[in-house]
Amino acid sequence: MVEILTSQVVSGLATGCVYALIALGFVLIFKATDVVNFAQGEFVMASGFISYTLLIRFGLSYWVVLLVTIVVSGVMGVILERVVVRPIMDAPIFSIVIATIGASTVLRSSAGIVYGYDVLPLPTIFSKDPIRMGVLSFTVMDAGVIGSSLVIMMALYLFFTRTKTGMAMRATAQSQTAARLMGVSVKGIFSLTWAISAAIGGVAGVLIAPIIYLDPNLGVIGVKAFAGAILGGFGSIPGAIVGGMLLGILENLSGYFFNAGIKQVSTYILLIVVLVVRPSGLFGAVAVKRV
Amino acid sequence: MAPRTAERLRVSFVVAAAVVALALPNFADDYIRHVAARLFVYALVALGLNLLTGFAGQVSLGHAAFFAIGAYTAAALAERWQWPSALCVLAAAFFTGVVGYLLGLPCLRLSGLYLAMATLGFTFIVQEMLLQLAVITHGSEGMRVKPAAVLGFTFDSDYRKYYLLLGVTVVMLLFARNLVRGRTGRAFLAIRENERAAEAMGVHLAQYKTIAFAISALYTGLAGALSAFLVGFLDPQEFSFFLSIQFITIIILGGLASLLGSLLGAAFLVILPELLAGLDVWQALVYGLIMVVTIIFMPFGLSGAIRRYRYRWFGIGVEPVIPRRLGH
Repeated sequence: MVEILTSQVVSGLATGCVYALIALGFVLIFKATDVVNFAQGEFVMASGFISYTLLIRFGLSYWVVLLVTIVVSGVMGVILERVVVRPIMDAPIFSIVIATIGASTVLRSSAGIVYGYDVLPLPTIFSKDPIRMGVLSFTVMDAGVIGSSLVIMMALYLFFTRTKTGMAMRATAQSQTAARLMGVSVKGIFSLTWAISAAIGGVAGVLIAPIIYLDPNLGVIGVKAFAGAILGGFGSIPGAIVGGMLLGILENLSGYFFNAGIKQVSTYILLIVVLVVRPSGLFGAVAVKRV
Repeated sequence: MAPRTAERLRVSFVVAAAVVALALPNFADDYIRHVAARLFVYALVALGLNLLTGFAGQVSLGHAAFFAIGAYTAAALAERWQWPSALCVLAAAFFTGVVGYLLGLPCLRLSGLYLAMATLGFTFIVQEMLLQLAVITHGSEGMRVKPAAVLGFTFDSDYRKYYLLLGVTVVMLLFARNLVRGRTGRAFLAIRENERAAEAMGVHLAQYKTIAFAISALYTGLAGALSAFLVGFLDPQEFSFFLSIQFITIIILGGLASLLGSLLGAAFLVILPELLAGLDVWQALVYGLIMVVTIIFMPFGLSGAIRRYRYRWFGIGVEPVIPRRLGH
């Protein structure tokens, strides 16, 4: 009984880690450029298809595929920013959101045209063999997904705190004017932010597609990640991570206790309750308005 | 240009639009009549959503849920209790308005993205309820709706449905016009621009925000109820969050806080896919591309573009300008 419960928690945490990675992509772009990128989920979907093509059609080895997928996904992020977002950078925020929604329609239907709408199998290096450690019970895949996610989060943390470029990105998020005066190329930082966010989304795609499914609608997972980011407090990096993980665990547990329909909905009920109590999410800064 | 000429231009535009709208069904086939009737349904939703999001500044991704509630309430009243159609539609609109008011209460503290997410959650919850409450909604099987009839007159052809929807849309458009020009509309705008300042001027925030939710939901519920009678079949899959995103796309592409924009946006999003229907698999791709290009060239939507060129070519009104955000 306890084993079943812990295995539900661990596999929920694995999915939650992927949500957290996608949520990080949302938050990084939002912090640096004030844009909410609704095409974030499509990076996940696209990288799933890219790695599928490289693995199955070209038969490349897994690590090469991973590397290429991340790079291609990053480049896609840069292109999206240059072509769709930058021309209307000063437009009302609503318009930018609609532009990214349009872009996600384009990406989704492109994938549909090339690969069709059937579910494709994406192999993974992690096996589904169970591991037992006391009351803990999980699969190698769960451990692999959680481990890889944590490694990426750690790498991001080191990048933002220890490198000059990372500091420049944080400076830009705080004040674009001040960063520019300090000699930071703000436009370069924008491109880099989109590249990093898309690349993280790419990793998320390679990790999640074998667990759930790979078809052109995989990008809808972005909605869940967005919910995770909101739960944690949009704009907060720890919030995105904790919110995404919490969402994954809760979703899995309610799927265990209730039927599949309730599983989809329970997270949103909880989200609304949390928002009513804490209108800026768990870690969100309470907006102080000056008169 | 002299104000009198501007006024004349306006009047002749409205008269021309009225003539076209009244004459259209007599020169068109059933397909065009049906598409036009659907356009009016979306226009009603857009008017309601624009009151809430465009004027009062409260983002909602919950309007697919309101649409569903309106549609299913009307259908259930007609099927189970054999209520007369007119009463079904009115009761559905009123009931949806009450639901909107109730949803507005917990949403009072939320704004921006948090509000968008909470209302999006509401859409997911209502869609799941449609499936779970199979006793009333017939679950995933969907629900058949008989044509509406008022005093023995049945709205069973696309010709009649067109005029019914045209009439309702015009009435609700005039109502919205009066609302935004009056005290309530000014309160909405004040809340959108600055809540603190609005409060200082005596606008009761909680009251006006929930009123905005209620009215917006009422419009959407009305549209949903009419849509149920127009289409004749309710499929729970239709009321997904994609529909909510479509609604918000309509008002942003049409123009926020613009009644004309609501109509134009609805026309754009209903007619465009029909025009692209021949493209088969390429339809969604081209549709997305047109959406992106439109918003890049018209950041204030279609009505914003009209305002711009009306100013540049005729010197009427003011040109919409992009306020430079701090830090850019």
